[in-house]
Amino acid sequence: MLLKKLFRTLLKYKAQFISMIIMISLGVGVFIGFNMEWYSLEKNTDFIFEQTGFADFRILSEKGFSKGNLESILAIEGVQDATRFLSVNTTVKGDGDVIALTVNENMNVSGLYLVDGEPYDEKSADGIWLSDQYAAKNDVHVGDEMTLTYKMITVTGRVRGLVKASEYLICVPDETQLMPDYSSYGFAYISPAMMKKAIIIDFYTQINVKTDLSKAAFVEAADAALHKTTLVLSKEETLSYAESMGEIEEGKVMGSVLPVLFLAIAILTMVTTMHRITASEKTQIGTLKALGFHDKRIMRHYTCYALIIGLIGSALGIGIGYLLGWYIMNPNGAMGTYIDMPTWNLYVPWFGWVVLVGINVFLTVIGFLSVHKMLEGTAADALRPYTPKRMKHLKIEETKAFKALNFGTKWNLRDCFRHKARSCMTLFGIVGCMVLLVGGLGMVDTMNAFVQSFYEDAINYEMRINLDGESIKNDEAAALAEQYHGDWSAMTSVQLGDKAVGLEIYHVENDRVRFLDEEMNFVALGDEGAYICARIAKEWGVHAGDTLSFSPYGSDEIHTATVAGVTRSMAESIVMTDGYAQALGIDYTINTVYTNETDIAANKHILNVQSKKAIMDSFDSFLELMNVMIFLLVLAAVVLGIVVLYNLGVMSYTERYREMATLKVVGFKDRKIGRLLISQNLWLTVIGILIGLPAGVGVLKYLLDALASEYEMKLVIGPATFLISILLTFGVSLAVGLMVARKNRHIDMVSALKTEE
Amino acid sequence: MAIVEFKDVSRVYKNGDHEQRALDHVNLSLEEGKFIVVLGPSGAGKSTLLNLLGGLDSPTTGTILVGGKDISTLTNNELADYRAASVGFVFQSYNLIPTLTVIENVALVKEIAPHPLSSHEMLKAVGLEDHIHNFPSELSGGEQQRVSIARALAKNPQILLCDEPTGALDSETGVMVLKLLLSMARDLGKTIIIVTHNQSIAKMADTIVRVKSGKVVSCEEQAHPLTVEEVEW
Repeated sequence: MLLKKLFRTLLKYKAQFISMIIMISLGVGVFIGFNMEWYSLEKNTDFIFEQTGFADFRILSEKGFSKGNLESILAIEGVQDATRFLSVNTTVKGDGDVIALTVNENMNVSGLYLVDGEPYDEKSADGIWLSDQYAAKNDVHVGDEMTLTYKMITVTGRVRGLVKASEYLICVPDETQLMPDYSSYGFAYISPAMMKKAIIIDFYTQINVKTDLSKAAFVEAADAALHKTTLVLSKEETLSYAESMGEIEEGKVMGSVLPVLFLAIAILTMVTTMHRITASEKTQIGTLKALGFHDKRIMRHYTCYALIIGLIGSALGIGIGYLLGWYIMNPNGAMGTYIDMPTWNLYVPWFGWVVLVGINVFLTVIGFLSVHKMLEGTAADALRPYTPKRMKHLKIEETKAFKALNFGTKWNLRDCFRHKARSCMTLFGIVGCMVLLVGGLGMVDTMNAFVQSFYEDAINYEMRINLDGESIKNDEAAALAEQYHGDWSAMTSVQLGDKAVGLEIYHVENDRVRFLDEEMNFVALGDEGAYICARIAKEWGVHAGDTLSFSPYGSDEIHTATVAGVTRSMAESIVMTDGYAQALGIDYTINTVYTNETDIAANKHILNVQSKKAIMDSFDSFLELMNVMIFLLVLAAVVLGIVVLYNLGVMSYTERYREMATLKVVGFKDRKIGRLLISQNLWLTVIGILIGLPAGVGVLKYLLDALASEYEMKLVIGPATFLISILLTFGVSLAVGLMVARKNRHIDMVSALKTEE
Repeated sequence: MAIVEFKDVSRVYKNGDHEQRALDHVNLSLEEGKFIVVLGPSGAGKSTLLNLLGGLDSPTTGTILVGGKDISTLTNNELADYRAASVGFVFQSYNLIPTLTVIENVALVKEIAPHPLSSHEMLKAVGLEDHIHNFPSELSGGEQQRVSIARALAKNPQILLCDEPTGALDSETGVMVLKLLLSMARDLGKTIIIVTHNQSIAKMADTIVRVKSGKVVSCEEQAHPLTVEEVEW
């Protein structure tokens, strides 16, 4: 019989129950979904790193390594495996696409993951194992013939298999290209046998190593084994690893702030609602008790409601979570164009399950405690209807201003104070909605401003010409820059502490490249010192006027530069003029020319030419990744706002039903009563917005600080963001207020006033 | 002069297929300035009669004239205006707004009534001038009912409608409230209609209307109504 009552009660409070279920499922869904994103990314990248033997260290030498060198490295204690490795950018004959052609002696390290076709064969004399993404974009199939050229060398082979590789997990030509573009850039592996056939000799510029040694220990051992100072890059310094870890880190930050807030709002609102429902069921609880039901039975009955809501909400939430997770992380979405993984499985993180169980236990306990309170005392006590706290005089009532208020304002004000929990929850919901909106949209603003400054404004060239630094001489390169009325740079890596950072030497006389200071203003480079990026400045605690020492990779030389200023930059780098570089005695090779001229004549030293548009396009797709997440968050914020406010609005309406009926009997019109109801909502909304605005900015600032290791972004929030956030929050509140206020037309004065309080 | 006229009024409540005739072809005429008691067992239809008269409900068929004006065809908003201007209500369960103080509960009618009386004066008249800043929950039942009388009269209505006004009070307090109600209404020249099943109250009435099963059984003038003191409680 009680079971029947259970279902009928669920039906009676269906608006509340449904909204509680929506809240819990949204809260759980957003929490699970957003955390599932980075957790699944971690699992799936781990899988390909594991499967293909992603190397822990790469020893680099432009002169190449011999078999003996490899054996010396393998002999180091703690080295598990190693391979000689070569990757050169080649041009596809016919369409000018660039393929990173790779030769690897030992596929257990930095190997392949086969997607289609034949497995890799190290003896194959003409087999090409091509990136499946590149193949798909360029309509290349297994069995097709391909010719690749590198300088004067031509390699022709047949595509034997389509593959993925951890070394090319994020397949971009260099760090300036944010997003892969498989229509023009891909990678391919050929066998050492095929390379030997093409160039007769063995030539490997890298030894890739798998080991558990620390970088310092490994560098020391490698230097000793090879009898020279070596250039060693750890996996953290490779683009594929660093960027995908960055993406995971970013997801962790996103997942640990906004979704948690989301979940908190959902749970707190649920708690309030549950308590109210139990309170309005008090007479029934008393009746059951008076009839002779044991407290335990009654408690079990009422606790069931909370448990049912928790369980249904959680189940739906997991579904929503998977949907969100899938939406953000699927091979055909934005993430799929960024990271090239073989598996896209979704995993709920372990703490997700803990949170789920926790929520259900918590809700059940809350349900239990609410009933417990109602059951206190004798059956007669329990039978007495629930009375809200007695009205007490407020301090502000003494003020003249309060006395001057009209009755509606007083009514609303006292009602807010009388039902503190409900008012606080409403406020909390509005603040939460506002924070999510300001935080989310502000993130988009900040990203857009970042891209605008870094790329649209700072890139003041139309074409970027990448030169073959190995063949071109500096004076030839400078002459080329002059010919195209451009500027040039020399980019290389230097060792700062135990980390590789970029050293960018610029010669700017035509204003084709610009630099941004910390306030995002342009700064002209001077010859009196080096400019360091904000991350280096923070990590090393150096400011303008201090000195910083670094050494060119693979050498013992040490250069000490005076810091002339701090800049914001995309890559972690040190920037200086060629004048200052010469003053420090740094050797450099010019490898890039920036120009506004678009007609670039063919030249054997030119590796390739990138247009600004191509670079910008890649940022657009990069931004898309962020925008997808923000869009989902904003959508969820609005839905949450509506549900929370509607739920509390209905609660307020139910609790004031009798008072409104009285007003109606006295002669108040529906519209006037409606206005009273809405005005309370609107006040709370205004207060919520006033709190939510700074709180949203604060949350965004926290997010940016947490992301600081990845992007040197300056917090920017446009007026449109404030306006949209305010209008949307206000709109939601007003719409919900109207929905609730409309109900007062249906107040049944006769029956409302008859029932004894 | 008749202030209230019911002409062939019926009120039928439909509940699925089931029809309940709360009032069945009622014809009634009540004089202005009189003290009228509507008597009847529970379920007889006396509250329905009061609700229709108070503009809380509309008849299914028939016409109700109040002061010569037909209120049976008014819209919701017109009914609200009618309630604000012409009738005052006193309920068994007081129905005060718990979040407003005594004075505010009374003063709130100023927002809607066209010719309200002073809230202070009203509260003084019901003897609550010392409690005007208390909340209803800080008052006894009798005191709360006095606030609701003050509120009803502050609108300065033609008719005062009372639904079992002493029903929730002990007899001593009930007598006091009733006395107050009568003297105030008489002083202000109001028509009072009280719905009750308490026969004793009827002894004080100018007119007694008896209702049974949705029909008016009788409507008699009492030549010599008793005073409150004369009635045995």
